[in-house]
Amino acid sequence: MTSPRLTLTRRAALRAGAMLPVLAAPRLLRAQPAAVKIGILQPLTGALAQDGDLGRLGATLAAEAINAAGGLKELGGARVELVVADARSNPEAAAQEVEKLQAEGVVAIVGGFASPICLAASQAAARYDLPYIVDVGVSDQITTRGLRNTFRFAPGFGTVTNTALANLVRLNTAGGRAAKTVVLVHEDGLFGSGLAKLMQTELPKLGFEVLETIAHPTPARDMSNVALRIRALNPDLVIPSSYYGEFVLLARTLRQQRIRPKGIYAVLNGAASNYRFVKEFPEAAEGVMDCNHWHDPRKEEAVALKKKVEADGRLWAYNVPLNYSCVKLVADAIENAGAADRGKVTEALAASNFRGHIMPYGPTKFINGQNQGAAPVNTQVQGGDIKVIFPESFADAKPIFPLQG
Amino acid sequence: MKPRDLLPLLLLLGALALTPLFASNLLLNFLVSALIIALGAQGWNLLGGYGGQLSFGHAALFGTGAYATAILQVKFGLNAWLAFACGIALAALAGWIIGYLSFRARLRGSYFALVTLAFAEVLRILANAADFTGGAAGLLIKLQPGLANFQFASRAGYLWAVLACILVVGLMTLWIDRGRFGAQLVAVRENEDAARALGVDVLATKLRAITLSGAITGAAGCLYAQNFLYLDASIAYGTWISVELLIAAIVGGLGTVLGPVIGALALHGLGEVTKGLLGWLTGIDLVLFGIILIAAVAFVPSGLVGALRRLRMRGAAR
Repeated sequence: MTSPRLTLTRRAALRAGAMLPVLAAPRLLRAQPAAVKIGILQPLTGALAQDGDLGRLGATLAAEAINAAGGLKELGGARVELVVADARSNPEAAAQEVEKLQAEGVVAIVGGFASPICLAASQAAARYDLPYIVDVGVSDQITTRGLRNTFRFAPGFGTVTNTALANLVRLNTAGGRAAKTVVLVHEDGLFGSGLAKLMQTELPKLGFEVLETIAHPTPARDMSNVALRIRALNPDLVIPSSYYGEFVLLARTLRQQRIRPKGIYAVLNGAASNYRFVKEFPEAAEGVMDCNHWHDPRKEEAVALKKKVEADGRLWAYNVPLNYSCVKLVADAIENAGAADRGKVTEALAASNFRGHIMPYGPTKFINGQNQGAAPVNTQVQGGDIKVIFPESFADAKPIFPLQG
Repeated sequence: MKPRDLLPLLLLLGALALTPLFASNLLLNFLVSALIIALGAQGWNLLGGYGGQLSFGHAALFGTGAYATAILQVKFGLNAWLAFACGIALAALAGWIIGYLSFRARLRGSYFALVTLAFAEVLRILANAADFTGGAAGLLIKLQPGLANFQFASRAGYLWAVLACILVVGLMTLWIDRGRFGAQLVAVRENEDAARALGVDVLATKLRAITLSGAITGAAGCLYAQNFLYLDASIAYGTWISVELLIAAIVGGLGTVLGPVIGALALHGLGEVTKGLLGWLTGIDLVLFGIILIAAVAFVPSGLVGALRRLRMRGAAR
C-alpha cells in the first residue's frame, strides 16, 4: 500500500498566505504590551485542596480587579496573567511546580499555604532569584533562612502565638478566671506540634495547667478516642491546632458526646474561622474562638469582596483576602520597579510601602522578608456568624466566655 | 558478561546523558526526579525482583540515606560528598538490621512485606518526633551551589550524577544477574527449601541482597536530599516512596536489569503527559495514572521489558 504523500500545492500556499493578516489582526488591534505573568502555587489536590482552592480564588479575584482597573499602569496598562500550579499538598510536588513556573517565565510566585510547601518552594525559587510571596505558611523558619527572594505578608508563628496568649489572658481575666486547666489537641505535622510545644512552655507561666497534650495525624478519620480522653480529663479549656477536616471532626464528636468545656480557643485553626464549618455544623461551631488571619472589616474593598464572593455562592475564608492582597502587593511592586524584571521586583518588594491591601496591617514594611505590621485577630462564632472580638479597635462583637454548658 | 549484554543499558543511559544539550530545564527536572525513583527501584528490584522478597517498606532505606546525608551536613558540618558516602553506608546498615531481624524470624511473603512496612512507619513517626531530625519542621540543607557541596547550579549536573549512579548499579546488577550470587538469589526466590537442599545459605544470601538493596535505595535517598534540599518525615519515610519504588520495578519488569529505569521513566512520563494534556482538570493525571497502572499490571504482568522481549521474539519467529 502506498501512503499519500504530503505536498504543498500552489493553491494551498496562496490560501495560507491570505490567512496571515487575519491571524495577525487581533495583535494589531490591541497593540498592548505583553501580559505580566504571576505564578500562583496552591495545593489544589490532596489533603489541603480546599485551602488551595480558596487561595486560588483570592488570587484570581485580585488579577480580575487589577485588569478591570486598567492593568499595570507603569507598564503601559499591561495585563496581569496568572499561571496556576498545583502543589498537590506536598513539598516535593511544590518544588517541581516551581520549575514549571520558572519555565513559564513568571515574574514572581504567590502562595504555598502550608509551611512545608512554602519552605521547599521558596528555596526552589531562590535558585532562580525568583521572588516568592508566602500567603499563609506561618513557620518562623520561612523568613529566617536569609533567602533574599522570600517575603511573607502575613504574620509568622511567633507573632500569632504571642497575640493569642495575650488575648487569652485578657479573655480569662474578663471572664472571672474561669479557665484554669487546659488540654492541647494538635496535628502531628509542623504547625500543630510547633504550636503545642510552645503552649506547653508558655501556658504554665500564665497560670494555666496543661493536663495533657494529644497528637493526631492528618488526615485522621476518627476523633472518638480524643474526645473520650477530653471527657475523662474534663478541662476548662480545649486548645486545638489542626487543619480543617480534623477540627470539624473533633468539634462534632465533642458535641455528639455532650462534652462541653468552658471554651474552645483555637490558634491558627483550619476550621474555627471558616464559614463552611459554621454553616454545615452551626451547633458544633457556636462559641468557638480562634486567633487567626482575618480581613479588615473597616476596609470597604474587603467588605465588597466578601459580598461578591458570597454572592457567587463561594466560601469566604482568610485565604481569599490574603491571596488577594498578596497578588496586589506583587502588582504594586512591579509598578514601583517599572518593569517585570525579577531583580527589580525583589528590590521593590523589599522597599515596599503598600497600603492597598485588605488586611488589618497598615502599610507593608519588610525586614528580612517579614512584613512587620502583620498581626492576627481573634474571632468567635456567634449566632451563626464569625465575629471579630479582638483587637477592640475594630471588633464587632463582645467575647462570650465562659460558655454556658 | 559479554559486551552485547551491556549494549541496551549503555545506549539508554548515553541517550539520557545527552539530553541537556537540547532539553529545557523543565524536562531535565522531570528526568532527575524520575531517575532518582529509578535508582531506588533498582535497589528494590535486587531484593524484590531477583530475590523474591517483596518489601513494602523501602522508604525505611530511602529515608535513612536521605536523613543521614542531610543531618551530617546540617548538624555536623560534614562535607556533602562524605555525607553521601556515609548515607549509603548507613542505609546499607539499616537494610542489614531489618533483614537480620525479619529473615532470622523466617518471615516470608506477605509477612515480610508487612514487617518492612512497619519498620518504615516506625521510622517515620520517630523522625517526626525527634529533635535531631528537625521534627515536623523538617531539615533544610543550605543552598550553596558548588561542586564541593554536591550541589549544581544547572540541572544537568544532577542528571549526570544520578545517571552515573544508575550506571554503576546497572553494571553491578548485570554482573549479579550473570554470576553465582544471582543464581543463588533466583534459587531462593523460586523455592527456598530446594535452594537450601542444594547447599545455598539462604539467610546469608537474603542478607547480602537486602544490604546491597539498602545501599542502592539509600543512594537514591541521598541524591533526593541533595536535589530538593528539603526533607521531612513524610517525604523521607512516607509510604509514597515505598509504593513508587515497587510500582516502577513491577511495571518495568521484575528481575531485569533495565526494568526499574524503564518503568520509572514510563510511569512518570505518562503522569506528566496527562497533566500537560488535561491540566485544566485538576488531579486528572493522578486518576489516569491509576487506571494505566491497573491495566499494566493486569495485561502486561511481565512488565514493559518483558513485553518488549516478547514482541522481539515474535518478530524473530516470523
